[in-house]
Amino acid sequence: MVVTAKAADGKEIGKVEKHYHPQATNCRDTKMKYGAQWKVANLRDTSFQPMKPKKETIEFDLPEGVRAADVTVDLFYELGNPEQKYPIHTITKKVSLDR
Amino acid sequence: MRFLKLIIVLLFISVPLAASADKAKTIDDLAKMYDSSRCKDCHAEIYGQWEKSHHARPLMGVKGGLMLTPLAKKGETAFSPEDPKKATLKNFPCFKCHLPQAITSAEDSVAVELAEALIAGDKAKVGRLQITCIVCHSDKAIVHKRELGEPEKGVLYGAKNMDSHPDKIFTKVKKSAIMHDSIACGQCHGLGPNFEFDQAFQCANLYGSYLHNYISSGGTKSCQDCHMQKGDHLFALDWNDDKGASALLGKAISLEVETLGYEWLKKAKTYIPKVVVSTTITTTAGHRVPDG
Ligand code: HEC
Ligand code: HEC
Ligand code: HEC
Ligand code: HEC
Ligand code: HEC
Repeated sequence: MVVTAKAADGKEIGKVEKHYHPQATNCRDTKMKYGAQWKVANLRDTSFQPMKPKKETIEFDLPEGVRAADVTVDLFYELGNPEQKYPIHTITKKVSLDR
Repeated sequence: MRFLKLIIVLLFISVPLAASADKAKTIDDLAKMYDSSRCKDCHAEIYGQWEKSHHARPLMGVKGGLMLTPLAKKGETAFSPEDPKKATLKNFPCFKCHLPQAITSAEDSVAVELAEALIAGDKAKVGRLQITCIVCHSDKAIVHKRELGEPEKGVLYGAKNMDSHPDKIFTKVKKSAIMHDSIACGQCHGLGPNFEFDQAFQCANLYGSYLHNYISSGGTKSCQDCHMQKGDHLFALDWNDDKGASALLGKAISLEVETLGYEWLKKAKTYIPKVVVSTTITTTAGHRVPDG
């Protein structure tokens, strides 16, 4: 998931990426491995779990003079490498500090 | 004429016996032994679904990537042989789930041929090795072998008993105790590290997630309930179909976004303009997503 906040002029204010997947090492060093032939056991699991909503709160501090932002949340599935990308949802919202 | 007919009948009978008597020496032998192409004549719809499924291309990788190739190359993995010509079934522990029939029914010469085909990038040859109808409806249909015995020759296992099944080799269908149960899929969809090998490793562990996260949260559906509605054999999520996979994931995974803009009072007279984004992601799956 990539969450981006942009000012009205399109300038990026901030970008946060979250990765959701089980992560395994070979239990001999501390490097995460890809590929069954190298993975031995999971040491962390950030994947989506059944019947358990995954909640995140992300904060962006706006620069001087900026009072509105376009927030885009892009959720996609990356299979193996960034070229194998399957879009899931993209949601954009306008946020203003003026009422 | 009568004589000729008799010969034909005999031939048909002798094929399965000869094939089951000894183990396959070549990829071609193994593919023929588990060949399901004739099932298409009578089970066209199921066959068409299976043909497009990942079960029909378990050694091909996503988009034909031949993911077993490193295992065939010297020094690339702990499992690789010194020389592809010396490969044995033990160099491919992945067969446990990606091609279980190799373990029960192939000679080491099949591993040599596979190693060479992988190095040569021979997709047509590697693609002949599949998790066919027979793998699930015979070999993997019994897990209570002490009580129920080994799968019988000439018998398929399904959802019901059939004293006569019109196939020329599998002339009977018996009811499998586990066909509707998640354990049928769990045999290959992984619990965690595979400890039975001299070098432990892990691939899929989705069945572990099903047992320990879904069942433990009160889930009651089986893999078949969610993945095989009306006997569907596509099992869904075809990673070679970009649009289809995206659409399925979009249905299964929901994303909710809420935002808030305000000025946070950090300390006296110091306001920090802030945007807060809250996301909630939920899935309808009965296990972790993604797995592996
Ligand atoms: C415990 C059973 C099991 C074993 C052992 C196993 N796999 Fe898998 N593998 C699966 C299953 C099931 C999937 C698909 C579902 C998933 O990923 O959750 C899969 C998926 C994969 C994928 C991703 C899909 C693809 O085709 O690209 C790769 C790559 C892979 N396995 C490689 C291997 C390799 C290499 C080995 C041997 C070192 C191996 N696997 C051993 C069960 C297993
Ligand atoms: C990955 C394992 C697997 C493979 C491969 C597989 N099946 Fe099945 N099949 C099942 C399971 C499990 C069921 C029971 C589904 C359920 O609970 O509804 C089933 C059910 C069936 C049924 C009964 C369908 C119904 O509507 O009740 C038929 C017929 C069948 N399979 C034929 C085939 C044929 C033909 C092939 C090959 C083209 C095949 N199967 C490949 C696992 C498999
Ligand atoms: C000549 C036609 C024919 C061929 C070839 C054939 N079948 Fe069948 N099969 C049938 C018929 C007819 C039924 C009964 C269907 C029903 O009652 O719904 C059946 C039933 C089955 C069932 C039991 C369905 C259940 O509800 O449990 C399975 C499993 C099955 N076939 C698998 C296979 C497989 C695997 C192959 C290939 C090795 C195959 N069949 C080849 C005609 C055929
Ligand atoms: C004989 C072992 C075996 C059995 C039994 C089996 N699977 Fe699989 N399954 C695999 C392998 C191996 C793959 C990955 C193939 C590949 O490399 O693309 C796979 C892939 C899949 C996929 C595609 C998703 C993905 O990420 O690759 C789904 C969905 C799936 N299986 C569901 C099931 C269900 C449901 C059952 C039980 C009815 C079942 N399988 C039974 C071995 C098996
Ligand atoms: C409550 C419903 C449900 C149950 C139970 C369930 N699944 Fe799934 N599964 C899903 C959904 C939804 C997805 C996401 C994509 C889709 O719609 O196919 C999925 C995805 C998958 C994938 C692809 C995962 C990935 O990220 O690569 C595999 C493989 C799979 N399931 C196998 C199984 C097996 C094996 C079982 C039983 C142990 C099972 N499922 C039980 C609903 C379910």
